[in-house]
Amino acid sequence: MNQTLTKRRKLRLESDSGWGYAFIAVALIAFCLFTAYPVINAFMISLQEYRPLGSTYVGLENFKNSFTDELFWKAIKNTAVYTLLTVPINILISFLIAILIIPFKKRTQTVFKAIYYLPAVASGVAMAVVWLWIFDPLKSGIANQIVMFFGMENQNWLGSSATAMFSLVLMSWLSSHGTAIIIYLAALLGIDNSYYEAAEIDGATFLQKLWFIVIPFLKPTTLFLLVTGIIGSFQVFQNAYLMTGGGPDHATTMVGLLIFNNAFTYFEFGEAAAQSLVLAAIIAIVSFIQFKFLGKDIEY
Amino acid sequence: MALYNNNFKSKWALFVRNGLIIAFLVLFALATIFPIYFMLISSFGDPVEAGAMSYSLIPNKISFESYKFFFNFSPYSWDWLLNSLIVAACITVSNVIFATLAGYAFAKMKFKGKNILFAILLGSMMIPGQVTQVPLYILIVNIFELQNTYPALIMPSIVTVYNIFLVKQFMSSIPGEILEAAKIEGCSQPKIFWHIIAPLSKTVMAVLAILTFMAAWNDFFWPFLVTNTMDMQTIQVGLKNFRFANTTYFAPMMAGATISAVPMFILFFSLQKYFLEGVTVGAVKG
Amino acid sequence: MKKGLRGFTMLLTVIMLVSLLAACGGKNNNTPNATNNAGNATNSGGNSSESLEKDTITALLPPASANFQARFPEMEKEFNEMYPHLTLKIEPASWEDMTQKLDTQVNAGSPPDIAWVGSTAISKYAALDVLLDLNQVLSDEVKADYDEVPMKFFQLGDAQYGLPAYLAIHSIGGNKQFLEEAGIDYKAVQENGWTYDEFREAIKAGVVKDDKGNTSRYGFVFATSGVTSKDYLSIMAKSAGLPEYFDEDYKFTYTSKNFLGLLEAIRQMIDDGSMPKELSSIDAGKRWNMFLTGQTMITGKGLASFENSARLNNEKIKANDGSAVADSIEAEYIALPVPSFNGADYIPTAVVDGFIALRGKKEPSEAHLHNIGLAIHYLSSGSVAANFTNELFLSPVSESARNAEVLEVYPRSEENLKADEIMMSKAVAARTDIPTELAAEAIKIETEVIVPKLQALLADEISPQEMYDAVKAAAIKSFGEDGVVVD
Repeated sequence: MNQTLTKRRKLRLESDSGWGYAFIAVALIAFCLFTAYPVINAFMISLQEYRPLGSTYVGLENFKNSFTDELFWKAIKNTAVYTLLTVPINILISFLIAILIIPFKKRTQTVFKAIYYLPAVASGVAMAVVWLWIFDPLKSGIANQIVMFFGMENQNWLGSSATAMFSLVLMSWLSSHGTAIIIYLAALLGIDNSYYEAAEIDGATFLQKLWFIVIPFLKPTTLFLLVTGIIGSFQVFQNAYLMTGGGPDHATTMVGLLIFNNAFTYFEFGEAAAQSLVLAAIIAIVSFIQFKFLGKDIEY
Repeated sequence: MALYNNNFKSKWALFVRNGLIIAFLVLFALATIFPIYFMLISSFGDPVEAGAMSYSLIPNKISFESYKFFFNFSPYSWDWLLNSLIVAACITVSNVIFATLAGYAFAKMKFKGKNILFAILLGSMMIPGQVTQVPLYILIVNIFELQNTYPALIMPSIVTVYNIFLVKQFMSSIPGEILEAAKIEGCSQPKIFWHIIAPLSKTVMAVLAILTFMAAWNDFFWPFLVTNTMDMQTIQVGLKNFRFANTTYFAPMMAGATISAVPMFILFFSLQKYFLEGVTVGAVKG
Repeated sequence: MKKGLRGFTMLLTVIMLVSLLAACGGKNNNTPNATNNAGNATNSGGNSSESLEKDTITALLPPASANFQARFPEMEKEFNEMYPHLTLKIEPASWEDMTQKLDTQVNAGSPPDIAWVGSTAISKYAALDVLLDLNQVLSDEVKADYDEVPMKFFQLGDAQYGLPAYLAIHSIGGNKQFLEEAGIDYKAVQENGWTYDEFREAIKAGVVKDDKGNTSRYGFVFATSGVTSKDYLSIMAKSAGLPEYFDEDYKFTYTSKNFLGLLEAIRQMIDDGSMPKELSSIDAGKRWNMFLTGQTMITGKGLASFENSARLNNEKIKANDGSAVADSIEAEYIALPVPSFNGADYIPTAVVDGFIALRGKKEPSEAHLHNIGLAIHYLSSGSVAANFTNELFLSPVSESARNAEVLEVYPRSEENLKADEIMMSKAVAARTDIPTELAAEAIKIETEVIVPKLQALLADEISPQEMYDAVKAAAIKSFGEDGVVVD
């Protein structure tokens, strides 16, 4: 039956082409103007030695420079490590919290949702100041009080290469997951109660329901969070810049920071554009793999 | 009945389970809410420079001086809030409409080049903003000559790839059979969208609205680039003015941040009901 | 076909919707769009028959001092009264993001006519050929208004790319009571300076330990976390025989023995216990907090305005209303010079900020250039400059500013005022002859090698010798064996 349906659907849907384009028209126009145009420009810039009053074409020189720059690869490695340590765990944390909020009465749920949404509205400046304070290297610092409680020595959190990256990762874990939690909660609400009811009749346990209903149903959402999370994480440098300045000894230098420095500190716009494209290619490959494994949309 | 089994043998077991969950949620909430708490207590401090900031968990003194300072600091403090409101509201509305339309088209409609187009959209997200910023600036300011206008602030975010992607993922779990049935009955796509998809998508639209509003409201760099008078700045741009050469007026800045968080709260609570009861296919059918 | 037509109408509707939405932004700024000075319409148009054509000059300025931005409207008005045919349009920008905005505008080919920058940024913009030489449009009278040393900071070669707004000395500052307790004759230091050996003994004497042997007060603390570590090194290097990255023969100086000596001293002060071993993550706010709470005798970097911050906190402690910094003690701020290392002369770090003149894709007309000259001088002298320097506790760098009235009077300590004057008198004019490519290469080494290695040195992860070797290797790679100082 499924097969005949698919066939018929195909026939039907094909006649919707006009509407399909109409539905995406605005998005497409906005995209062409405000995204595609700058991206194409960036691509052209990557082949130039960019100067505002007249650039020179240099071919693939900028790409060659990027590929042979040791620091670029170190930054890629740092960024990959940071992404690997933060994105999956942050998604797991968000998922857990979203699941745990569900069993309560509506009022309790509201309170928790608000609490978890709350930090997302905090300004980045406040966040950085607070975390610098938490990672105060002296014995009076909050993080140090905690480790000293367990009998360890006080740590030079952001100042030593052994702990700098870990400190940034910790900061990411304990920062707001408001966005991801809200998205998960919304997706959870989309699961029809009839599925649970059917499962309950079969005597399914909580974990079985989680595994056979919730997780498959949330797959598109997880894919979304994973792909956007990785894109964001690969481009991020603000935290590292504010908290450690990329140091010590490049232990926390991210690709985003290199690109920023090239564009605005050295005015090597061409090289910044080239590095950006290399970075984009890497993210694209990673995303492609994710789509391959998670991308099959579920159908009922 | 639901994901959780609530028919425990004893009330005691239910109580223990919920207690444990609450304990975990509260503990984690405390960790993440700390910056907000810090923002709030420091906003009640005196308007002194950041160098002289107190590092303490409990405020020594509650004063509203910083709030007064914030509004007296610049004659434009109210303008900043209003500008942010206008810009964020326009961006939110346009995204909810157009991202939902496009997301639906990419998820459930079939047309030539759909997958390629979507891949291109997604791919463009992967290029860092630092290099697209200058071309975009040239486009808006040098070509369209829109600097210091609302269109300049709104247009680049009129519909974002992030939102389209989000909607697409949500819509992919809407069963295709309903749409099939509708089509067989002769519904045109706009009708399907309006009568079936839109009601089913209230939750994702609410999510979209909240997240977009938050992002637009918190956006700093683009508004900073394209505004050049104080009366056109947004709140995030204005807040940065509390930083001087070597000093920062920390408490008033935090007061401003606290004030600027209020609209997002109002929005959150007014859309709250969409997060409590999902709209599922069953609900529509039934 | 029919379907296609329908799609097309739909598309049109949607486009109309968008334009409506964009228009609902309302309140389009209706001021004449002359801000885009790249195509300065008023100038090229020539539609006016008056002898002086109307012109608009744009300026991008940060909140340099507490009330500077609040005075922008008055400044615009006053300038227009002085030159009725000219309009000065000031764009306000927040301090830390202003460079990025300026850089975006520069790269887009449409910068403002005038921008506020630190003098060190000049070579960066000069390399892009976007700076305007003001020599022809500034009269000798105007040029004579400014002090020679700060004026030089805005020169490159023979070109005068801008005018100085102020000169600030980056020094260090001590707690008067603690200095006296440690037996340091701070008045003599203010007058004659001190060597590293004297300084090392002094900060050792300033350390106080509690009964458990933990340090409760350090001798010296300097903000070195993240990017501020650059400040620390360069301020110390000035008086360590390394006043600039390049010597007279354009050889890179940080490969000399003096650099190794300085790095060893930096490590020594931490190993002595005079500075905290966690120095590498002490940020600017923390070091000032440590000063106010009596956790350090001397703090750095120090600025003239800190005297006022300390005084304000003292008043709050006296008022006892809970508004003072938690756990703070009364502290009197004493401005002190940085010690000199390697037996070199004391050279203060003079930071000169000011205004530069920029051009976009189009060459500015002669009249416009002239008008920029008028505006830039207006901004950097007279009562405008007098007020912002006053609010920053600095002395003006132009004669007209010194003679101008200021709006507010702040109390200053005589001792510190005198110490500041001595330090300022020793300030050395900036080099104007270093080619921009060399300067750019040095900045790259600074960002990619010197600062990261310094962070590692402060964290005790590499030795001074290792850092020295790394910097030397990078320098030789960039400038060649002959391009670096060997001694």
